[in-house]
Amino acid sequence: MSQSTKKQRMGSNMARLVLIAGRNLVQSRKRTLMLGTAFLIVTMLLVLVNSLTTGIRHTMLRTVTTLSTGHVNVGGFYKITSGQAAPVVTKYEEVLQPVREALPSDIGIVDRVRGWGKVVNPSGEGRPMQLGLTGINIKQETGIIDVVEVLDGSLMDLTRTDVGHTAVLFEKQAKRLEVGVGDTITLSVVTPNRSNNAIDAQVVAICKDVGLMSAWNVFTRKDTIRSLYLLDEGATGAIQIYLKDVDDAPETAEALRAVLADAGYGILEPDAKPFWMKFQTVTREDWTGQKLDVTTWEDELATILWTLQALQGVKTIVFSVLLVIIIVGLMNSLWMTIRERTREIGTLRAIGMGRNSVLALFLLEAGILSTVASVLGTLAGIGVAALLNAMNIQVGQGFQLFLMRDTVHLVIGGSDIAIALTLIPACAILGALYPAYRAARMKPVTALQHVS
Amino acid sequence: MKHSSKLLLLCTAATIAFGLVGFSSVSHAETLTADQVLKVLQTVDNRQRNNGDYRAQVIIDQREKDKNDLVYDATVYRRDERDRLMILFQRPKTERGKGYLRIDHNLWFYDPRVGKWERRTERERIGGTGSNRQDFDQSRLAEEFVGTHTGDTKLGRYTAHKLILKAKPGIDVAYPTVKMWVDVETYNTLKVQDIAASGKLMRTSYYPKWRKLYSESKGADVWFPKEIRIFDEVEKSNRTIIMIRKVDLKSLPTNIFTKAWLESKSR
Repeated sequence: MSQSTKKQRMGSNMARLVLIAGRNLVQSRKRTLMLGTAFLIVTMLLVLVNSLTTGIRHTMLRTVTTLSTGHVNVGGFYKITSGQAAPVVTKYEEVLQPVREALPSDIGIVDRVRGWGKVVNPSGEGRPMQLGLTGINIKQETGIIDVVEVLDGSLMDLTRTDVGHTAVLFEKQAKRLEVGVGDTITLSVVTPNRSNNAIDAQVVAICKDVGLMSAWNVFTRKDTIRSLYLLDEGATGAIQIYLKDVDDAPETAEALRAVLADAGYGILEPDAKPFWMKFQTVTREDWTGQKLDVTTWEDELATILWTLQALQGVKTIVFSVLLVIIIVGLMNSLWMTIRERTREIGTLRAIGMGRNSVLALFLLEAGILSTVASVLGTLAGIGVAALLNAMNIQVGQGFQLFLMRDTVHLVIGGSDIAIALTLIPACAILGALYPAYRAARMKPVTALQHVS
Repeated sequence: MKHSSKLLLLCTAATIAFGLVGFSSVSHAETLTADQVLKVLQTVDNRQRNNGDYRAQVIIDQREKDKNDLVYDATVYRRDERDRLMILFQRPKTERGKGYLRIDHNLWFYDPRVGKWERRTERERIGGTGSNRQDFDQSRLAEEFVGTHTGDTKLGRYTAHKLILKAKPGIDVAYPTVKMWVDVETYNTLKVQDIAASGKLMRTSYYPKWRKLYSESKGADVWFPKEIRIFDEVEKSNRTIIMIRKVDLKSLPTNIFTKAWLESKSR
């Protein structure tokens, strides 16, 4: 028999099997409906939970990379003595040169001066807070302007020099400190040589909270932080790089490490921790002068990414349990089908249907059912996600901290849809494999003698 | 060991009045030259310096807004000749055995709960209060600062030299600028204002009472403040009162200023 004739026969056989599987599904309507609904609900849940974690990741990435870190950061430590480290990049313009040369010209680069200190209401009202102090040039920070919602005052007033130093607070901070726009706050820090320094700054804007990051972050001008830490104009906290595709961050960081090492800079070993967790390690090391530290946004947020990982973990456990239930249910259902259709299988085998065809028939039934249900479940999931987004459901304060917004926000990613459309049918076919194999192994004579 | 709040209020009111009255009546005496200012600082230092040893009980009373009041009872040991200082906490029970030891410009802190020594800076807030090492140590103004005289002023019933002291380069001090009011008659310090590098006033200390004790080793009197009232100027509601009691100028055992000795006190 020629190859093409063989292929033609196989094709027509398969079409026939698909037709029989389809008819069988229609015939046992009740069971098909029950199993299909189960597949549909699980797929819909999978899509929704995936879209929730994708939504949190999107929000986290957007807010966090705007408020506290770049996609890639070139920070570092300067050590006056081996035991005193400051999170400072000295002569940052010189550091910036090889960085710019190594990256495409249209990539966003800003530098921020970082600090950590006590924020106090000098009138004695309110309660003092320990906060991260970030010195920025608001005119360069379009991301902040996009992400942050101003409740009172103006972000642009940060640049005002006629009122001395200026600061932008978030809602909860202002409430705790009992200050409003126009009031004065005192920023008090311990300098790298461990002396105390303080500066008064006028509050020029109060912004809406954006979750965890706004809980410990105050924006001020770069010169304010430099004055507090007695730094010169050439010093900054970190050079923050915003890439076109955030997924390129690890490769870019690796490339920049090599470029900066070639330019003669001392580079700290990669360590997936935020800069403020590295003080102890750096202080223990026996060197002085400047060392640069190239990190990705995930390194800087290692302490809060656990929320996302925890959610992923819970999601995996829940879906594993659901899938096991579905597979067991499917296997049980197929066992029942095989018992009910033993005589039919015997007849099919007696009139010449091969074992492989019987196996394929049962697998096709599971495949068709689960694929159709998954498509419908995915569509339902997309619909429900759109509905939930439109409803702007408010979440509790505790959840807001991790969600980094006050409403539920679901984002359906292409990969989430692909997972839902492949995972459920794959599991269904896997679950059907053994019962189908047993059905195929049945002897025609025994099957025909079976009394249901 | 807590003081009644009434007494504290009275003290605070008296202190503020003491300060305000002073500012109200200013008399402009002839400005002192740099050498004369140096002489004043040396006199202030010498009056407080003992050539031998020094031991005193100190009560540190710390009041902070929205926090429980803290009262520490500690013993301060000094050997001025060799620049040694040790502060050993006795009470409350939770703090017993903790201590600071200054050896060769290094300030060490020991916590018996972890059994480890940590190097701290000269600007360490002692026991987390508003006080720092300099409040307990011998006075080294002439050694650490360069002073200028801005005039004489009335501070309550006292006439005081008002001095502005700037830290000498490379000297490790808590605040780079200090404003100081020194009694023109006794050379006792009356008031000190610590100013940060930014120019912001960080804390104000008042020295309302001074006592003297004859020192055999010095062959002269040694002066010490009986009380220091420290007001935090950043967190206005925080204040610390240091009361110095039972000053003893007799010789201390030779091996006392060692880590081993301080550790042994918590065993």
